Amino acid sequence: MLKIKNLKKYFGGVKAVDGCSFEVKKNTITALIGPNGAGKSTVFNLISGILKADDGKIVFNGREITNEKPEKISSLGISRLFQQTRLFNNLTVKENLNLALEQEDTKFWKNFFGKVKLNRGKEKKIDEILKLVNMEKFKNRLARELSYGQKRLVEIARAILKPHKLLMLDEPVAGVNPKLRKEIAKILKKLNKEGDTILLIEHDMNFTLKIADEVIVMDNGKVIAKGKPKEIKNNPKVIEAYLGETKK
Amino acid sequence: MIAMQLLINSLIAGAIYALVASGFSLIYSTTKIIHFAHGAIIAISAYFLYFLYSILGLNFGFAVILTIIFSAIAGYFSDFLIYKPLRKRKASSIMLLIASVALLILIESIILILFGADVKTIGFIKIAKGIEIFSAIITPLQIFIIVSSIALLLFLFIFMKKTKIGKAMRAVADNKEIAEVVGISSEKIFAYAFIIGSFIAGIASILVGLEQNIEPMMGTNLMIKGFTGAIIGGIGNVPGAILGSFLLGFAENFGIWFLPSGYKDAIAFIILLIFLLFKPEEILGIKKESKK
Amino acid sequence: MIEAYLMHLAILIFIYLLLAISLQISMGFTGLFNLGHIAFYCIGAYVSALLALNGFPFWLSFISAGISALVFGFFIALPTNKLKDDYLALATLAFTFVIYAIALNWTSLTRGPLGLPGIPRPSLFGISFSSNLSFLFLTAFVTLASLFIIKRIVDSPFGKVLEAIRDDETAARVLGKNVFKMKSYALAISAFFAGIAGSLYAYYITFIDPSSFTLLQLIPVLTIVIIGGLASLKGTIIATILIVLLPEPLRFIGFPSSIVGPMRQIIYALILLLILIYKPKGFYGKVELG
Repeated sequence: MLKIKNLKKYFGGVKAVDGCSFEVKKNTITALIGPNGAGKSTVFNLISGILKADDGKIVFNGREITNEKPEKISSLGISRLFQQTRLFNNLTVKENLNLALEQEDTKFWKNFFGKVKLNRGKEKKIDEILKLVNMEKFKNRLARELSYGQKRLVEIARAILKPHKLLMLDEPVAGVNPKLRKEIAKILKKLNKEGDTILLIEHDMNFTLKIADEVIVMDNGKVIAKGKPKEIKNNPKVIEAYLGETKK
Repeated sequence: MIAMQLLINSLIAGAIYALVASGFSLIYSTTKIIHFAHGAIIAISAYFLYFLYSILGLNFGFAVILTIIFSAIAGYFSDFLIYKPLRKRKASSIMLLIASVALLILIESIILILFGADVKTIGFIKIAKGIEIFSAIITPLQIFIIVSSIALLLFLFIFMKKTKIGKAMRAVADNKEIAEVVGISSEKIFAYAFIIGSFIAGIASILVGLEQNIEPMMGTNLMIKGFTGAIIGGIGNVPGAILGSFLLGFAENFGIWFLPSGYKDAIAFIILLIFLLFKPEEILGIKKESKK
Repeated sequence: MIEAYLMHLAILIFIYLLLAISLQISMGFTGLFNLGHIAFYCIGAYVSALLALNGFPFWLSFISAGISALVFGFFIALPTNKLKDDYLALATLAFTFVIYAIALNWTSLTRGPLGLPGIPRPSLFGISFSSNLSFLFLTAFVTLASLFIIKRIVDSPFGKVLEAIRDDETAARVLGKNVFKMKSYALAISAFFAGIAGSLYAYYITFIDPSSFTLLQLIPVLTIVIIGGLASLKGTIIATILIVLLPEPLRFIGFPSSIVGPMRQIIYALILLLILIYKPKGFYGKVELG
């Protein structure tokens, strides 16, 4: 579904992504792991179109999307969760979610003449997803009134609600309590069973190794290992990369 | 020769703008505040000189000294009363910008009420007798203005590079957080920036006041020109602001060779607009670097 | 006499309200710090004045004012798209200066500092709005209709996208929203209403000159928007009434009019500074500036 070929991104002298290549197969949960500074979030930003690649190719469902605009990439079916919370703070939870669903909201005249309505179908979907993450009570609260964990849940809900073929999650459970982590793991596994392809970045090894079908390890901007979770766990290169980090 | 006169006029205009731009740039580079009210500080200082010399009849030299002190104090208080409280509540840069515009309007309106809208003259130099250089005319005051702005450039250069305060100001300009870690009080340095920048404003107010007549809106006009000069030279770059100001002086004076003279100000506005729209990396570039 | 004075205040309130709610679209709802708003007001006023003085009917000159301003709104959207907060503010401010300079210097069109006098009062469907009372009804109608339209826009999903852009532009793009298009629309719509406000102003005062369209005129509008609160239409209405009426008692204390003008500016500037320092969200604001 998603192919990264020899991707490169430099920030001045820093080689954030230095010839990175991997593949995400359809209907899998693939985890992108690696020590801090390995370039994982940068790769996500390159895929989303937020950063321009200096070299390399990104191909999604057979179509090259390297350096396309974020809104175009999004419309092709990639939905994304960011590492920091990026909710619309001054809008309600419901409004935040509706923005993910709405496809016609940038059409001025249609909206002006009132042909875009929050019909029952959309309302139902919003209620369903809120139930899934246990946040129904907060439907009409302003996003900025929520706690960090609650915000994360709403954001995950929003990413899921946005029509997509590929779900990209950057540290979905960072800073979230263990019980909630289990819930989220369950949700992701459920989505995967229903046909979703998921690519996630995560530092929590337990979480990752439990749900991932495929693991890709990055260090210093390159992929250093790929394989099933069990193989990766015992891969000496991977251990060295992480140990090297703690030695630093 | 017309070209010679245009050249001289460019230097004079450039020098005046440089006097405005240098103080403004110094304040911006250290505090990252776009202190639009800087122009108003110049205006009110010029009127203060007028008040002391032309109305009270004080000795000119004495009035000049008092004016420069007044300027520095006025600049200090604009920070203390307005920008500092905003900083304390973590105001965004746009809020600071709007506050500085409000302060500019406030001060200009006060001038209007106290002195009226008509143009006034500080009558120290009676009749300016021009000296001829290659069939272009220049007055002694104008020569003095050009020399002063170049002297200012040198003074600022030495000050920023060699003195303790200057170095501290550059440290804060580069990275406030790290400067504080090594024990520099950024609040103190900010205060210094405003005092020194406004001290330069005081000098500017005297020279401009003598060269041109004073009127209540002079602050806004000077500020726009000075700001444009600073932007051309790369905002936050103090020597650049001075050079940029001279470039503006040239652009304006050679520009009205081709356009009707009323468009002189329009030239500055258009250059400003173009630079803001198409070279924001100049500005962002400096901001980006200070975040490293 | 008293009625004439009150009607005058009422007309001013409606015109300022129109200016303020139009600024809310770009600034309060979309987060675009367009300090060049007065330029649109200026363009609208001059277009209307020139058409009216050349015999064109009111409805045409009125709509043309709005559309001309709208075109300029679109026009500045492209170069300012990538600019952040204060640089956008500075660039749009510079735009005001450029428009002012053009109005001042393009004397063959605008008569420069002499201005355009003798603008006839509007007449529509055979009714002549020459009395101040009738003009008040016209202005009230236009402003209230505009308020209704703007409320409709901001309450709709389109309005929510604007707010999303204000809150987090990148997140909006990643959700698939065409942010550049939305910003252009925001500036254009904002400009349209400022343009028709300019038209009303020209028809009311029957004389315009460049000095009515400077930074000074921005201050009360900006103060209204900030005091009322960004993105709050209700707050804007209350703030407009407050700001227009507040300096009026000065007239009755007996100050000469040459003092009243600058005193008004001092009051506005002080209020703006105090609000920024002590209550930056204003009365009903959702957000602070930036």
